[in-house]
Amino acid sequence: MFGLIKTWKALEAKGIMGINRRNADYVLKYNKRHLYPIVDDKIITKQRAIEAGIHVPEMYGVISTEKEIDKLDSIIGGRTDFVVKPAQGAGGDGILVIADRFEERYKTVSGKIISHEEIEQQISSILSGLYSLGGHRDRALIEYRVIPDPIFKSISYEGVPDIRIIVLMGYPVMAMLRLPTRQSGGKANLHQGAIGVGVDLATGVTLRGTWLNNKISKHPDTANAVDGVQLPNWDGFMKLAAGCYELCGLGYIGVDMVLDQEKGPLILELNARPGLNIQIANDCGLTKRTHAVEAHLAELKKKGIQESPEERMRFAQQCFGHVPIAQL
Amino acid sequence: MRSLNLHLKILIVLLVSLGVLITGYQIFILGIPVTEDETDDLWNIDAKVEFLATPREPVKLQMFVPPLNQDYVSLNESFISNNYGVSVNRTDGNRKVTWSSRRANGKQTLYYRLVLTKRYSDEQTKARGPIFRERIPLEGPEKIAADALLAPIRQHSADVETFISETIKRVNNRNDDNVKLLLGGDNSPVNKARVIELLLSIAHVPMERLHTIRLIAETQQSPELWLRSFNGEQWLYFHPESGQQGLPADRLVWWTGDEPLVNLEGGRQAQVSFSLNNSEMNAIRLAKLTDENTDADFLEYSLYGLPLSTQQTFQVMIVIPIGVLVILILRNLGGLQTLGTFTPVLIALAFRETQLGFGIFLFTVITALGLSLRSYLEHLKLQMLPRLSVVLTFVVVLIAAISLFSHKLGLERGLSVALFPMVILTMTIERLSITWEERGGTHAFKVALGTLFAATLAHLLMSVPELVYFIFTFPAVLMILVGFMLAMGRYRGYRLTELFRFKAFLKD
Repeated sequence: MFGLIKTWKALEAKGIMGINRRNADYVLKYNKRHLYPIVDDKIITKQRAIEAGIHVPEMYGVISTEKEIDKLDSIIGGRTDFVVKPAQGAGGDGILVIADRFEERYKTVSGKIISHEEIEQQISSILSGLYSLGGHRDRALIEYRVIPDPIFKSISYEGVPDIRIIVLMGYPVMAMLRLPTRQSGGKANLHQGAIGVGVDLATGVTLRGTWLNNKISKHPDTANAVDGVQLPNWDGFMKLAAGCYELCGLGYIGVDMVLDQEKGPLILELNARPGLNIQIANDCGLTKRTHAVEAHLAELKKKGIQESPEERMRFAQQCFGHVPIAQL
Repeated sequence: MRSLNLHLKILIVLLVSLGVLITGYQIFILGIPVTEDETDDLWNIDAKVEFLATPREPVKLQMFVPPLNQDYVSLNESFISNNYGVSVNRTDGNRKVTWSSRRANGKQTLYYRLVLTKRYSDEQTKARGPIFRERIPLEGPEKIAADALLAPIRQHSADVETFISETIKRVNNRNDDNVKLLLGGDNSPVNKARVIELLLSIAHVPMERLHTIRLIAETQQSPELWLRSFNGEQWLYFHPESGQQGLPADRLVWWTGDEPLVNLEGGRQAQVSFSLNNSEMNAIRLAKLTDENTDADFLEYSLYGLPLSTQQTFQVMIVIPIGVLVILILRNLGGLQTLGTFTPVLIALAFRETQLGFGIFLFTVITALGLSLRSYLEHLKLQMLPRLSVVLTFVVVLIAAISLFSHKLGLERGLSVALFPMVILTMTIERLSITWEERGGTHAFKVALGTLFAATLAHLLMSVPELVYFIFTFPAVLMILVGFMLAMGRYRGYRLTELFRFKAFLKD
């Protein structure tokens, strides 16, 4: 009992945010319910992003009825690689990644050969709501296949690593790189076993990481150190994340981005209830940073100023960046 | 944000204080018992009147019955007699029953039965009585004896109260010659009371006789004589022999005045015997009975005013907030993961039908079988609605099979499963399998265990009879609960599990 109180005090002193605080002070306060469909439906997110001039993987087409499945051929055209996704899927379910064509058949990233009919059936399942939360009818999205930058080769196992930045009212407050592991099955979700690696907001250099609620410094599959890696085009990521506030209107979001080897930083999806393990990855509590942003916002409001995404990014980098790298 | 917080605080304070006030009012002002086990004495008094009727003469028998204007309230009163007309009338604060018959022969027996209780009567009416009386004229030696007795009484007393007790003390002194003379050799309480009255009248102190029945079970008794006098504010009670002051709590005033208990015309050898017995009665049932028999209708606007069958439904419904509260605390304070928000409450309600142990067993078996069916259906790639329908039908068939088996095995308990809400089970299976796919088997198992734990705890709490009774009788308690829930709505502290989840931070 006494030990628990001590733990409580220590966590509080570090500014670690708990679920109750996240829900009461941030999600409920800054995220209006009626705006949720924008982030829940990847097609709407994408359309909004394109309108706002924010980079997203190119959308080849949308299939929303069984009849439209016939259009699949014309949507794919002559492309050899593409991704089929449910618009409202969760946890990476129902995603089909085609890497190549092979004699009238298709080849997935994992090397499995499937026929055209099988793709059609997958789309039919998506439409029936098999992968959507709550089982509603859904739409299928066919889009550009992201080819991850080779920089991640040494520290990731299969799948596409992505970058999650938590953004409060347009100010990036914390970032992490999510690396799939053998255990996570190529998916980048932390609760499925992926690693989260903290990223310095100012420099884009990786810090140490978290795996299953523990602190780690090496990738469990490749045994390479995860810290000290310079992410290319870091300011591009930051600017992209900062701009997402204007895009969706939600004040507290997690922005998931990827680094394509040709197109650079792209937004994959937005999350209205970003997880809290990013704190372990960065070895830093969220509460102090969010309070700093809130104080800054109150000050700006007094002066009647509104900052642009660049200014917001610079503020965040100044306040939260240049974390002294802990000695291993 | 700040004004919102203030708003919330005011609302919480308002709700909690309103709840406390209403409950306090019910408990302390209306005197509604706090627990169901609280019992009250219920007195059953039988007065049996026997007499010999004179042939060919109309019979009229009058008997005093308790006036019931004191601390007691009658729940039931009956006059049992064959071929007699009965009428009850009030005179001078007394009640008299008159049995009358044109013709009666031989030995007659009449019964009067009264069921009464002490609680839940109206407020005491303000006492009123005479404070002055005329002297009873005395002549000769009696006058001298009385004057001789009164002189030291006057000396030793300060007011009416002490005067009377001093008088009673003197009259009970058998060695006093003056007293001997006044009593004239008759030492009965009645005669003593007469002498006391005589002495008091000389001092103009009024006195009244009252006849009481002692509320004590299983003993034969006849009315006991007491004296009382009004001192301008209240009645003072005295026992004419012992001088004991104040009427004990177990006395019931049957009648006041000088008249005898029974007045018989057209008969002889009238004899009244009293027999009493008491039973304990559930306080709230008693309150309900009292409610029907008096003007006090403090239960009228409570849930007890509902028809009985509706009451039973409400007794289940009214504790649901308790179950919800359990889930709220377990989830938001403890960090326990459950399936959905209120599924555990629904399962807890289902446990009511099946009993806890058997309920958990059934729940586990049906859910496990349902899950395996669900995972088989997963391969068929069915749409949600048809898939759910199949699972539901399977659950129904499973329940039917279990019922049949347990019936054949002679376990009647198995039949109760029919009422185990199937939809709840189906939804549990569906949710659990989604969790299984999204977060893996370990997580699904954890969640299922958490759900079962929360449901068990909620069920145990929801079936504490004292709690059910308390909330059903004092529904304002729910306001206090809402206050707590509102406060929880803005709780930002850590959950218990988070203290372990973020343990990594402390390892430096």
